[in-house]
Amino acid sequence: MTADLSEAFSFPPQPDPDADSRGFWAATAEGRLAMCRCQSCGLWLQPPLERCRVCAGPTEFEDVAGTGTVYTFIVQRQAAVAGYLDKVPYVVGLIELDEQLGLRLPGRIVGVEPGEVVCGLRVQAELVDLPGGEYRVPVFRPLGAE
Amino acid sequence: MNRLLQGSAVVGIGRTKYARASGRTALSMAAEAARDALADCGLTPADVDGFTCFGTSGTATPSQVAHAIGVPDLGWSLNVSGGGNIVTTTVAGAATAVLSGQADVVVVYRVLGSETRYGKAAGPITVGGEAQFAGPQGYLVPPQWFAMFCRRHQYEYGSTSEDLGAIAVQQRQHAARNPHAVGRDPITLDDYLNSRWINEPFRLFDCCYEVDGAVAIVVTSAERAADLPHKPVYLLGAADSNRFGGSVDQWDDMTSMFSRDTAPKLWSRTGLKASDIDVACMYDCFTFTVMATFEDFGFCAKGEVGDYFRAGRATYGGDVVVNPHGGLLSEGYIHGMNHHYEAVLQLRGDAGERQVAGAETALVTSGAGPFGGALVYGTATL
Ligand SMILES: [Zn+2]
Repeated sequence: MTADLSEAFSFPPQPDPDADSRGFWAATAEGRLAMCRCQSCGLWLQPPLERCRVCAGPTEFEDVAGTGTVYTFIVQRQAAVAGYLDKVPYVVGLIELDEQLGLRLPGRIVGVEPGEVVCGLRVQAELVDLPGGEYRVPVFRPLGAE
Repeated sequence: MNRLLQGSAVVGIGRTKYARASGRTALSMAAEAARDALADCGLTPADVDGFTCFGTSGTATPSQVAHAIGVPDLGWSLNVSGGGNIVTTTVAGAATAVLSGQADVVVVYRVLGSETRYGKAAGPITVGGEAQFAGPQGYLVPPQWFAMFCRRHQYEYGSTSEDLGAIAVQQRQHAARNPHAVGRDPITLDDYLNSRWINEPFRLFDCCYEVDGAVAIVVTSAERAADLPHKPVYLLGAADSNRFGGSVDQWDDMTSMFSRDTAPKLWSRTGLKASDIDVACMYDCFTFTVMATFEDFGFCAKGEVGDYFRAGRATYGGDVVVNPHGGLLSEGYIHGMNHHYEAVLQLRGDAGERQVAGAETALVTSGAGPFGGALVYGTATL
């Protein structure tokens, strides 16, 4: 398919926060990565919920270390998503955060050649501006790399 | 309580031509498939009192389609929201409507028009729900989700591009004997390996062939089926599984899919096992969907699908014929309803030059990733 590089396709999809997710975006705007956590049993919840899925306790957004492990990843070669049509190839991983087994966030993996990314790679989050709006999003860089 | 569905049967099947761009409305195509399915079993719109379909967008509703073919007063009408994951629920739902007496004759259909193209570049958009975390990262469309599963399987079990290619090549070979298939030109493993990357580890030939078209089947009671022209094909049993709220990213073990949970339920409800199945219409939005679900249903062990296909065990003369019509990969993407059409055709013995000799049982799976289901059809009740 031919990449449509017209202005309409030049910016990435923008998040549409809701009452449950607003805390995530408020944190990234302040330069912090925070995830939803049950205040009763301590379970981390992604996607966020108003009440814990296990104990129905109240939740809050709490800062996380931003370190994690690449559980799996893809190398995007075809132009498929607005804002990235002229950015291929790029790598998107599902990053398992250190706070809890199975707690994953999707994010681009940067600062490494696509061919060098492997499952199990240790990464660290950093926040970058999302073009086309007001939001900041996490991307992940191999730990120890500049 | 017995959880079998075998008091119900599929008595009619219908479909439109599958085309890359039909220029037709969803309503027209769904109406044609419904009329075709009713004509196939000698019933008329006046005999129909139930209609159901599933879809995500761009569908025509059951009441619209019933009206369009002249059903005077539609009783049971159910429009199910979902994609490939919900096909089993929809078909089994029609059977339960019949078994409970809520309806006598139900038409189940799926229609896809050109406005629905999951592989199309998306944007500019805002994304809510879980997609608000994924979309901004350039991660938004199905080939990306299931390639994530595939990569993890390659990491843990050493499955390869050649293994995926074996599935793609074989399904194309099957489609060559299916005049209704859109992808009939044979491909070799080299063609597969040389096809362009979509998102690694998926190439073009890992992805299904999106088309416009509609499929409809007619479900009624086994009792009534006995008086209709075709050999009835019984719905023996069905099972569904839904975990993680449908979240791909949070699914715990990405080397498996919903089928990990569905298979034991289905086999326990029916008393059947993989080796009892003659035809397996495996949901195949992508090659890897076949790989993961085939393992989960117990046809072979983890990591052995490539060898299984290369040894000819998944085709004519082997253990089970997988997607004799070519599947979504080669016949066309009618969201898995075409798998039901094929299963019924095979069990009737009407599949022509691609007939699976002596086919008595067919497994039809639906869905990929964290949710889906499966259903077994048979030529005889259990
Ligand atoms: Zn809790």
